[in-house]
Amino acid sequence: MTVLALALLIPWATGVVLVMLDGRRHLIAWLSVLALAISLLVQVVLAVMVLSDGPVIVTTGDWPVGVGITLRADALGVLFSLLSILAILTATVHQVIGRVHDRVFPGLVVILAAGLTGVFLTGDLFNFYVFFELSMTAAYVLATYGGSRRALGAALVFTTVNLLGTFVFLLSVAGVYHVTGTLDMGRIAERMAEVDPNASILVAVGFFVAFSVKLGLFPFHFWLPTVYTGASSAVAAILSGGLANIGAYGLLRFGGDLLPRELDLAASALIVIGCASILYGGVLAVSRRSGGEMLAYSAIGQVGYVLVAIGIGGPVGFGAAILYAMINSLNKTLLFLTTRMRGAVVGAAFVVGALSVAGVPPAAGFVGKLGLFRAAVDIPAVLVLLFLGSALSLLYVFQVYQYDFWRTARAGPPSARGQQLVLGAMALLVLAAGVWPEPLLALSSAAARVLTGVAP
Amino acid sequence: MILVLALTAAVLFGVGAYLLLRRDLLRVVLGVAIISQSATLTLMASALRIGDAPILPLPEALMSDPLSQAMALTAIVIGLASASLLLVMVLRVVTAFQSQELDEVAGEEAERDARLDLDEAQDHEAEEAAVR
Repeated sequence: MTVLALALLIPWATGVVLVMLDGRRHLIAWLSVLALAISLLVQVVLAVMVLSDGPVIVTTGDWPVGVGITLRADALGVLFSLLSILAILTATVHQVIGRVHDRVFPGLVVILAAGLTGVFLTGDLFNFYVFFELSMTAAYVLATYGGSRRALGAALVFTTVNLLGTFVFLLSVAGVYHVTGTLDMGRIAERMAEVDPNASILVAVGFFVAFSVKLGLFPFHFWLPTVYTGASSAVAAILSGGLANIGAYGLLRFGGDLLPRELDLAASALIVIGCASILYGGVLAVSRRSGGEMLAYSAIGQVGYVLVAIGIGGPVGFGAAILYAMINSLNKTLLFLTTRMRGAVVGAAFVVGALSVAGVPPAAGFVGKLGLFRAAVDIPAVLVLLFLGSALSLLYVFQVYQYDFWRTARAGPPSARGQQLVLGAMALLVLAAGVWPEPLLALSSAAARVLTGVAP
Repeated sequence: MILVLALTAAVLFGVGAYLLLRRDLLRVVLGVAIISQSATLTLMASALRIGDAPILPLPEALMSDPLSQAMALTAIVIGLASASLLLVMVLRVVTAFQSQELDEVAGEEAERDARLDLDEAQDHEAEEAAVR
């Protein structure tokens, strides 16, 4: 119980203090890294508790159950929150070693981490919205990092589109409250079954749109390439490795847990949209020559896989979706950090990330793709599309490798040794997850059990 | 009553969406602010009971649902904060680009892409020539 409160309070309190201090000073920047590392540690403890003893539930402020806001840490939430903090920590260390140019950067990443932790560990719908806005607001400011004209233009697009997404989410929250009379996620799941289908489908569509905008799925992706290429590489890594997890988690939690009936109804639509995303992202990524742009379009394609797995549903489908979302977050963090860096380790790290995106063993992506193929084995058309998508991704990653690393684009003095070390560690993690995938598989199936109630 | 609230929220959303699609950046901010008002109104309208102000609950009186009002209050604060953040961002864009037209921001992006393509083609030709 205290662990759950600490996991939220530490980044929250330190973030608020740090954002008021001058982050360009080395000490302040390293303090933010320390705060993130402690949060990560607390979350590891929390994850161990949740996985061994089941969900941890706290009603805040000693209110009676049903009145106070509930915080609930189950396997699904803990997993995503752990992963997001890891991505943010890696990107922050990378940026801090390279020197921070903006006074609010260290404070904002910690606040972003607090917001994400809250989103993943809350059991209350409106509280979810508040933490969602907290992390998004930090991300809007982070997107301007660097202050170049490109970053500013991109941040403006990012902010407007995502604000629209959050208001659509808020409209759905109002709808859910009106039809179920509660904001507690557990009770919403119970009462949703008796709600008039017209109303429930409407709110489900609202949630789907809101999370798809966040995730950058095919028809809602238009803001994504500008932002991911315009932002600095550490910020792009934070946005795609940390913040985009809200989208995947939201689709899983709201689709699998709160609105399972509506998810079943929309299954084929989700699979079609997912496949469109895979093909669109893959084809456009092949046509790109620079690392950053290729990664931005690849991100659109990769989330398509997650959506296809959610559409397939059931223990196997959800397990595959969670596994793929986790591996995708690791891949994107690693690959976005390699853009704009030079050195021997950078090339090797890029290759590991590239193999993982394409799904080639021994990188972690292979395990993710294997899970997907297992889930989709009954639907031959989807299987063919998944294969096609993987082939496209193999093509685009190594095309960019050839352009970027074999030509002059990356010539010049190597980047700082510390930054290369961070990349190396991250690449080793991706490799280790591929060589020894049992922990990842166990975690993702434990998380899928939260949604379906049965072991896969 | 419900119909009136629903229609008002819908009209507000429509007006906001229209403004959001304009080229002038200030109108975009106004559009976002109006859409946030539409969401707040929907939160108010989602109340389970409509009655007296929920400040001193008396056993015989019908009291409004306090929860939806609390949610609306929070949403207003968040809406205000995001609108002001967006305004600051527009101010920075206006100082950086010397313009408040979205077209110019997008135009710069397109120009950059065209320049990159041109560089790419020139590099390629130079390489071909070297091989020959």
